[in-house]
Amino acid sequence: MQLSIEPNNGIPIYEQLVRQIKYAVAEGILVPGQVIPSVRDMAKQLTLNPNTVQRAYFQLQNEEVLQSLRGRGVAVCEGAKKQCVADRQQILAERLAAVLDEAIRGGLDEDRLRSMFEKALKNAIRTGEKQS
Amino acid sequence: MSEVISVNNVSKRFGNKIVLDNISLKVPSGVVFALLGENGAGKSTLIRSMLGYTKLNSGSISVCGLDPLKKPLEIRRQVGYVSDAPGLYEWMTVAEAGWYASGFYPDGFLRNYAARINEFQLPADTKIRDLSKGMRAKVALSLAMAFDPELLIMDEPTSGLDPLVRRSFLESMIDRAAAGQTVFLSSHQIQEVERVADWVAILHQGKLQIVSPLEELKSSVTILDLSLRDPLLALPDEMEQLEVLHRIQKGRTIHMMVRGFTPAIELDLSKHANLFEIKAMRPNLEELYLGFTQPYESIQARERNGQGKSNQTEVA
Repeated sequence: MQLSIEPNNGIPIYEQLVRQIKYAVAEGILVPGQVIPSVRDMAKQLTLNPNTVQRAYFQLQNEEVLQSLRGRGVAVCEGAKKQCVADRQQILAERLAAVLDEAIRGGLDEDRLRSMFEKALKNAIRTGEKQS
Repeated sequence: MSEVISVNNVSKRFGNKIVLDNISLKVPSGVVFALLGENGAGKSTLIRSMLGYTKLNSGSISVCGLDPLKKPLEIRRQVGYVSDAPGLYEWMTVAEAGWYASGFYPDGFLRNYAARINEFQLPADTKIRDLSKGMRAKVALSLAMAFDPELLIMDEPTSGLDPLVRRSFLESMIDRAAAGQTVFLSSHQIQEVERVADWVAILHQGKLQIVSPLEELKSSVTILDLSLRDPLLALPDEMEQLEVLHRIQKGRTIHMMVRGFTPAIELDLSKHANLFEIKAMRPNLEELYLGFTQPYESIQARERNGQGKSNQTEVA
């Protein structure tokens, strides 16, 4: 699992960590039952404040993505994948909404936007097919 | 949470120059506390006074419950200190430096020191004078950490070190913090501080601008970029509710840093005809630092002095 944290991009650091772990679960990079690095190891790996990592782990535990196993560390919950896929869609929907908001404020009309979207979608599908 | 360091109304002058101007701050136990400030802001003076190296003109300091001026030895036994220019005896080898220091500390020091030296891959038989700057810094850090202090104070620990050495410094620091110990550091590596600090304090020309948990500071402050149709018209009344920390106007755009911005205020502002674009962003630490070290008052003062009469008020 390769995580990268950008402290100055406006999204709180713990939130970035939460998202990236959810993405990793959604993509199957982390699988249910897999043990992930402890707070201390993760903090060292990413050179982040351990309290920040702790906060992210807490949130993921509350959302039942992670669970702590006594004596063995922290692992991905059974059934976490479905929720992470849904969460990822939610995050993507928010990002899409933000882009649309910017476009509308920038004066683009609906038809122009729709054609931009269709074109971008086609391109994305084509590159996706090439890669797989 | 109990506090490990408590600084109360501390002032310090060197001759006529006021280096620390009525500083008060408290460092809770178990946090990574970062002191930011430009060169000459007073960071090192504050740190040195915490260790009893500097006498104060007024105010008091308590470190681990002790007065550093009255109990300098006890403080040094309890606090790990890495200065910006570590004073090591040039003629000792790395191993001898550890052996020499171990005399001042409880048993276990040498074993810990040897483990650190090993971890940092320092050559035990090499004389200090033959070490590079990065290696010396590692020796200083190993000495400071070998007696497992509850509090580690570091004065610009990573300045002048290469990325690899910096990385291992940060890792050691994080390890301390993860074990529940308190780390106090001064730095101008803002990116680094943003990753590792729980609390930040910003010192500017001897005055403390802010002390706050980093996350709280970031979420309470908003950067606003406003675009105006007519720059000569007054801003809407809704702006009065905001605490303005910093403000720069360039022609038809205003860049400001405020406290107390809410979605409700944003909605009110968006109805205003004179404002055609409002961008509200969460600041990063660099923006906060710049905002707090160029306070609004000084800009207002310039405007009053007539330097900002045109709408091209710009503060570099």
